[in-house]
Amino acid sequence: MANPEQRKLEPWQDPKAAPYVRIDHVTKQFGDVYAVDDVSLDIFQGEFFSLLGSSGCGKSTLLRMLAGLERPTKGRIYIDGADVTDIPAYSRPVNMMFQSYALFPHMTVEQNVEFGLKQDRMPRKERAERVGEMLGLLQISELRKRKPDQLSGGQRQRVALARTLAKHPKLLLLDEPLGALDKRLRESAQFELVNLQERLGITFVTVTHDQEEAMTMSTRIAVMNAGQILQVDTPTAIYEYPEYRFVADFIGLVNLFDGRVAETQDDQVLVETNLGRRLHMRCSHPHAVGTPVTVAIRPEKLQICQTYHENGVNQVKGVVEDIAYLGDVSIYRVRVSPEMLVEMTLTNIQPRTEQALTWGQEVAMEWSPTSGVVLTE
Amino acid sequence: MLLKKTHLRDRHLSRVLNIGTPYLWLGLFFLLPFAIVLHISMAETALAQPPYTSLMNWVGDGVLQIRLNLQNFVSVFTDELYLAALLNSLWIALVCTIACLLIGYPMAYAIATSPERQRVILLMLIILPFWTSFLIRVYAWIGILKPNGLLNNFLMWLGLIHEPLTILHTQTAIYIGVVYSYLPFMILPLFANLTRLDFSLLEAAADLGCRPFKAFLKVTLPLSLPGIVAGSMLVFIPVVGEFVIPDLLGGPDSLMIGKQLWTEFFGNKDWPLAAALAICLLGLLVVPFVLMQRLESRIGGDEL
Repeated sequence: MANPEQRKLEPWQDPKAAPYVRIDHVTKQFGDVYAVDDVSLDIFQGEFFSLLGSSGCGKSTLLRMLAGLERPTKGRIYIDGADVTDIPAYSRPVNMMFQSYALFPHMTVEQNVEFGLKQDRMPRKERAERVGEMLGLLQISELRKRKPDQLSGGQRQRVALARTLAKHPKLLLLDEPLGALDKRLRESAQFELVNLQERLGITFVTVTHDQEEAMTMSTRIAVMNAGQILQVDTPTAIYEYPEYRFVADFIGLVNLFDGRVAETQDDQVLVETNLGRRLHMRCSHPHAVGTPVTVAIRPEKLQICQTYHENGVNQVKGVVEDIAYLGDVSIYRVRVSPEMLVEMTLTNIQPRTEQALTWGQEVAMEWSPTSGVVLTE
Repeated sequence: MLLKKTHLRDRHLSRVLNIGTPYLWLGLFFLLPFAIVLHISMAETALAQPPYTSLMNWVGDGVLQIRLNLQNFVSVFTDELYLAALLNSLWIALVCTIACLLIGYPMAYAIATSPERQRVILLMLIILPFWTSFLIRVYAWIGILKPNGLLNNFLMWLGLIHEPLTILHTQTAIYIGVVYSYLPFMILPLFANLTRLDFSLLEAAADLGCRPFKAFLKVTLPLSLPGIVAGSMLVFIPVVGEFVIPDLLGGPDSLMIGKQLWTEFFGNKDWPLAAALAICLLGLLVVPFVLMQRLESRIGGDEL
């Protein structure tokens, strides 16, 4: 775990690494509303960090406080070791890409990109070079004389990115950077953004409500809800080992079985569910017998059960109620009790017409003890 | 097919109506009166009702005689009185437009950036004076500005002055009256423009290292130029021809073309000369209009 290579790639694992951005018990109140509620967070140099949450969870407010556009009600913010809490936006070594892009409509692409450099009183020659470099980097050199209203959505996004990158910021903040793009464009833009970040080595902090976007791009994700950060982890850990019911539910599809701990032994736990069946799970934290818990299992971890027993562990049976055919996979919604539907994803190895499962068919499903997590909150 | 044809015909008709109605309106209420005034400007005064001669006369043997008298236009441009009045009007209009802009811009900005509920009240306060007659409001200024009026009494009470200032019947009184009366015409178009301003642009400017005042100069001001142009035209053009304010508040030395026009029409009963003055005034006012339209199309283009 602690070999040097790993530390370089995952600085948050290294207790000696100094964070690049430190958010220290920051609270932001708007009247009586706590937009951000006592959040502490460390972000390291070179990270692609995502703040993920639904709208109104406080992620944008947190980002705006990093940019200096909002002042924290309480707490301090440090960037590169310096306390920037009281430094106004125009003096911070930080640039932000706005959700609406906020391109100056009365200026050409070139003038937009040049704007920040002019504020730094960079000499004309150097400025022209930097603008050329940025336009080249984002492949928008041929648009230099156009005005924002003569550009497509994708082109505007590039111009906005060029404008924020032009000043060579140490920290780049992106508010829903791909939110205004259509789905196809968004996918290619995701990879491009990651490549750009790796090439330039700038620390990126993005805000998004799109979990897929956060998963593909980030080194780490902070899942936010109601002004608080619930879990900070790598995309894999967030997906496979969520710590909260909210996190499990927010990221991807999940089956949640409520129940009580019936038996524990080492790192194994037996859960008596409301379905009247016992689930056998591996579990990192020991739980006392009788603790109410929720077992979370991703739909793709379920398999069709060949040897079904009435009292079989980690097995459920039901009737296929709905099939969502997505091409590569199909999602089967199986009614296992009057109150509960279980979702199972199967890869479509055979063409649709030759598949075994159809509507109304009875199916038994099972999973392994290591393929889910036991949640208490 | 048939359906499509009637549909097209309907559309054609509605296009004609849509475009035609304003033209008809302009033709009836602008072009026609303009032609009448132009006609009068080339006639001669006469002791008759109406008090000018006809341009066309039958002089027998089927000969129609048309007499175009251009003497009035010559007088307008040679008589120093009219020229001075014209220049002074332009000067007053210019000074007042700039004053209205300097006072009105911060007001419009404050209203545009205030919370929704306050905004309605503030806008109401701007529009409220229109509920009283313009004439009465200008008269009220006489009470304020006269030697023993409100302003002088107040200043004397404060001990700032020991004898009344002469403001009424001076050019200063005209400035005050005009700026007061025309300020809403500057504020309203500016407000309409500034409410549409995207404030994330100012945040972006700040984020890129621009201090607030510079951000105003580089972003807000250029983007509000259409509002400035519209407001300035709404003030400048009517002020050039203004006659009530100079008549009530101005003195004998403050000549304005509008007042001169009024005197020629009603005092001297010289309709042709007054008409010629009106035509010249109109011609003069077309110039800033064209200039400003040019400027506006330039904002849309690559310049700036």
